[in-house]
Amino acid sequence: MAKTQRKFWYVGVGLLLSTALLVQWRSASRVPLTDFRVLPLRHHIEGASLCPWRQPEADLHAFFPTATRYDTQSPILSSLLVDIKERLGRWLTPDENPLYLHRVYRNQQPLGTILVRRVKGEYGAIEVVLAVDEQGKVRGLKLQRLREPEPIAQTLRSPHWLAAFEGQTADSHWRLGEAVPEVRAAAQPSAQAIVEGVRSSLILLDVIRHNKT
Amino acid sequence: MLLLALRNLTRRPLRNALTLSGLAVAVAVLACLSAFGQGYRSQLGSELDRMGMQVMLVPLGCPYDAAARVLKGKTLDNSLPASALTLAQHDPAVAVAAPLLMVALPRPSEGRTDMWVGLDRAALPLKPWWRMKSHVTPGSNWFPSDDSVILGAEAAVTEAREPGDKFYSPETGQTLRVAGVLERSGTSDDSLFFVPLATAQKMFHQPGRLTAIALRLRDPALISEATTRLQRIPGAQVVTLTEMMGTFLNLVGSVRTLLLAIAVLAVTISTLSVFNTLLAAVVERTGEFSIMRALGASRSQVFGLITIESLLLTGLGSACGMGLAAGLGYGFENIVKQWVPFAPSGSLLSLTSSVMLRCILISFGVGIGASLYPAWQASRLHPADAVKMD
Repeated sequence: MAKTQRKFWYVGVGLLLSTALLVQWRSASRVPLTDFRVLPLRHHIEGASLCPWRQPEADLHAFFPTATRYDTQSPILSSLLVDIKERLGRWLTPDENPLYLHRVYRNQQPLGTILVRRVKGEYGAIEVVLAVDEQGKVRGLKLQRLREPEPIAQTLRSPHWLAAFEGQTADSHWRLGEAVPEVRAAAQPSAQAIVEGVRSSLILLDVIRHNKT
Repeated sequence: MLLLALRNLTRRPLRNALTLSGLAVAVAVLACLSAFGQGYRSQLGSELDRMGMQVMLVPLGCPYDAAARVLKGKTLDNSLPASALTLAQHDPAVAVAAPLLMVALPRPSEGRTDMWVGLDRAALPLKPWWRMKSHVTPGSNWFPSDDSVILGAEAAVTEAREPGDKFYSPETGQTLRVAGVLERSGTSDDSLFFVPLATAQKMFHQPGRLTAIALRLRDPALISEATTRLQRIPGAQVVTLTEMMGTFLNLVGSVRTLLLAIAVLAVTISTLSVFNTLLAAVVERTGEFSIMRALGASRSQVFGLITIESLLLTGLGSACGMGLAAGLGYGFENIVKQWVPFAPSGSLLSLTSSVMLRCILISFGVGIGASLYPAWQASRLHPADAVKMD
């Protein structure tokens, strides 16, 4: 009798311990499912700095008065990276990679392209709207936003300086004092950033156009 | 008597072992639930703390109108009286009171609005998500000088600024130096420009002006009484994060009810189990108790013997239960967490000495409670019953 009782005792304790171990193992091995509470919003993937086109209608009217419509294309640049590097003299930055081309049409006939780009001015961002015709020549340039002190802003927004960009191409001599006129010393860093931004945009557009043909 | 009680328990090893196991499991459940409840409340409280402010003190007027004005890019006309900050700081429920000056500068031609926030060091504890990327002030989350600005992640991208760059405010003519850029937080801070409070007041020609005071309480549960007091501050009104606080209090309340219900169930089952074991023992040992009485044992001695047996049983059960709770508690926590709404991340099991002591006391209470009737039955036996049994 005592022997049977001891057996029951051992079986009981054994069962209890096995259950406990099973529960512990199951809980430890369970991989937590995606839990929105554990994923703070601050760990979201950082988006690229896409520059918005703030006044499309006004800009279309100014650069392509006969335009009837535009559409936006986003070409894949990955296969063109080597060509672009050769022309630019540097690799594309992550900010430049998602490129948006606003293709402008008069009915079905393409008139040109508008590119919008943010460049780093000395005192803040400068947003550039660049209109290019079908031959790759600059049709017009507009600074849609800038945060420079007034004297510098006046220089950069002067019609004389902006008009100097018209007719230039990706192959122009993109230096201050050559393709575009020199500006006063205080405005030079921001002017240089604009020139570099326009040059990069034209080269990107040119590489895409040549690869299409 | 203790030895006798112990010997009596070992006379029925299987039955007592099963009762002991049941008791141990009940005590373990009780300990884990108590520890879980305590941990849940404190973790939820600290998660709320990590969210920053809980209450906002704003100038009198419609708070929704104020919010709409800010969203539309218009500046707020009202100001908080200077005394509001002092009064808020001296409130016993307030842990942090951070004065703010928020100024919206609309730029209609660009289709956007610059949002400037002036704040002082008191605001830092309210922004635990602030991680500043800066080579200007490495390791710091604060302004190195009065003419510096901290940019939210989105603002820095939009303005193409990096730490050390100049940053110009055309409306005020002020040139600032970027002290750092905040890591993306998913909050409204991402698109704001932060400057020291004094700098903001000077930049916008509003010396001493405050548009809001952000508050954090010592304990979120004090929200009601704190709100009542803060409402009395002249010229100010309280805007609470009502939904969040309501959710917090509801969650704590419902989890407490859920855990209490399970704990009551565990205690009831273990009480009945001990009661059943002792009653069966008394019925089996009727003759033995009668003989004890015939040999001169008093009623209280028989009563005491049963009670001691019960206390020994529950004492051993408690010890095993505590061992189980310590060993399997974290597995149990993972199971319970699946049923608890919005369980905070991190471990919630807080098996402190006070929790263990409470469970042991409850267990002894169960032992005494369950032994009362069987002990009373045993002590009522008459010495003559021994003769009848024979």
